[in-house]
Amino acid sequence: MNNKFLGGLNRRNLLKLTAAAGAVAGAGLLASHPAFAEEALSLKGKRIGISTAGTDHFFDLQAYNAQIEEVKRLGGEPIAVDAGRNDGKLVSQLQTLIAQKPDAIVQLLGTVSVIDPWLKKARDAGIPVLTIDVGTTNSINNSTSDNWAIGKDLALQLVSDIGGEGNIVVFNGFYGVTPCAIRYDQLVNVIKYFPKVQIVQPELRDVIPNTVQAAFTQITAILNKYPEKGSIKAIWSAWDIPQLGATQALTAAGRTEIKTYGVDGSPEVLQLIADPNSPAAADVAQQPAELGRTAIRNVAKLLAGGALPRETYVPALLANKENVGEISRKLGIG
Amino acid sequence: MSVDAAYLSPSLPASIGNEADATPAPRGALGRRLAVLALRQGSLAVFIGVLVYFSIAAPFFLSVDNIGNVLGQSAIAGVLAIGLTVVIIAGGSNVVTGGIDLSLASNMGLSAAVYASLVQAGQGDAVAIICALGTGLLIGAVNAAAITLAGIVPLLATLAVMNVVAGLELVLTLNTVIPASTEFLATVSATGPFGIPVLAYLLLGFTALVAAVVQYTPLGLRLYAVGEFPEAARAAGLRVKLFISGAFLASGLCGGLAGILSVSYLSGSTTGAGDMLLPVVVTALLGTVFSRRLVPTIGGTLLATLFVSFLINGFQLLNISSTLVSGVQGLLILLVVSATTLLQRKGNQ
Repeated sequence: MNNKFLGGLNRRNLLKLTAAAGAVAGAGLLASHPAFAEEALSLKGKRIGISTAGTDHFFDLQAYNAQIEEVKRLGGEPIAVDAGRNDGKLVSQLQTLIAQKPDAIVQLLGTVSVIDPWLKKARDAGIPVLTIDVGTTNSINNSTSDNWAIGKDLALQLVSDIGGEGNIVVFNGFYGVTPCAIRYDQLVNVIKYFPKVQIVQPELRDVIPNTVQAAFTQITAILNKYPEKGSIKAIWSAWDIPQLGATQALTAAGRTEIKTYGVDGSPEVLQLIADPNSPAAADVAQQPAELGRTAIRNVAKLLAGGALPRETYVPALLANKENVGEISRKLGIG
Repeated sequence: MSVDAAYLSPSLPASIGNEADATPAPRGALGRRLAVLALRQGSLAVFIGVLVYFSIAAPFFLSVDNIGNVLGQSAIAGVLAIGLTVVIIAGGSNVVTGGIDLSLASNMGLSAAVYASLVQAGQGDAVAIICALGTGLLIGAVNAAAITLAGIVPLLATLAVMNVVAGLELVLTLNTVIPASTEFLATVSATGPFGIPVLAYLLLGFTALVAAVVQYTPLGLRLYAVGEFPEAARAAGLRVKLFISGAFLASGLCGGLAGILSVSYLSGSTTGAGDMLLPVVVTALLGTVFSRRLVPTIGGTLLATLFVSFLINGFQLLNISSTLVSGVQGLLILLVVSATTLLQRKGNQ
């Protein structure tokens, strides 16, 4: 019984951002992988608690379902619970899960300050806790995307597409959110070596909620300020919902010579990239299903007595006009 | 629950008289009474049946740990639903024109935000508690003024207040999570005696207190009188508007209290308090089937709260997809509301 009319979307997006932020906070502690052969992994007779903050995004749904399937594939019994983006429900389901004493709990997303006390209670009860995109000291291992690689790949694609020169418009409203900051810093690092690429000042602020509408309005205003073709080469944002609004604004204004760039692999943006007439040029997609499978395989390794690194990075896939069909298939988007 | 049986008729003239009435009642009324009996016994039977089924299918269900957890998990929704029940009792149970407080969930959100913000600002628990309860009470006062002074229908008045309050929460929190941890909050979210969460004790204690006032005092009886038959209550010398105002103040206070519990449960104030509204309304409506005359009662509301929580808990223990819970909840509401509506229509004929 979710009451959606009080602004569900904004909250969800923010949750996703903040969760991702926490995920990266303790990064950089990558240890060597324990040598476990893939076929040796088994969860036979094990009950694995799978708790998610929600399944209403493409990302979480994919990661959630992949975890359930992977536990079954390895012969274990998944206890899967979905909080439907409700923090109260999330805490309740964790409580019940802890009381059920499963062999391990995997938490997918969630606001760290809300879930951390309960992850700690699980740990105190002797249940190993693993996470996906949640940065907390109460988790043994966190599976997440490599945001440094995401930022670099996106920046290199952008610079190469615009021929190494020209003005780019940047949405930088969430520098306080760690993954966004990393991706932005990587853009700055790359264009440092392309002195003819300039970021238009002032930078734009992407917002939550009304992300698409706000991006549309801001880009329309920028286009009025820079009316001649070629004065703006590209638009960059740290995720792909502002990219969606920017792309719509370009199409509406007939300025399809400007290209747009973003991150997350939202199906609607990938669809735009697949459209040869759309200004959407590239979108770096995380691999949610692979993240889910990785976390479960880590559980199996741990329960078999193996050691786990603090973070396990799952590579992201850059989708551009050439390879978007192939990437979409890989991500399981129709 | 003695009040509704002994003194008050439901708002249906056809069924005036108490259960032991030996005078031949009109056929419709008799039929209705049988149907009420069936509905009430039926719902209790369903409740017990569900519990028994869960206990057999998932042995862990009946453990003290689990029951304690469920009671604790019901605390916030329970306090809100009890607040709403008081308003429904005083305003009458017609969903559209009767008593309803749609601002309760956002009241909880704002009160929680006030609490968490004060803790963040370095204030102590005492100040935060007073301000959170004060916030709730103030919202109740605004509702009361809009309804009794301006004469707006509760449905619309509290809908407007709900939006104002949700907006204020956004202004205060900028739609972010405000973490808060103090010793008091940790105590409330901790486990108490016998391995049962403190929140469970709070819920039971609070229910007992409100039930004592509403079901077993003259004040409670008058509250029912005001809601069931305002003209008669006025003729009997009761100050109807005063009672209605009092009910909204009480429900506002419940919102503030739920806010404090929610800060403790969620280790801070989080967004999306509005999500609680529909489950709380549903619970308060569902509560009527657990009363003898299909009227809202505090005990019935507690049972309804626990029923919904046990359902969610049992589904999780049986590893049934949680998406089914809202479906079942919706189905229950549809059944309950149709049954009570049909019975009322029959009674009015």
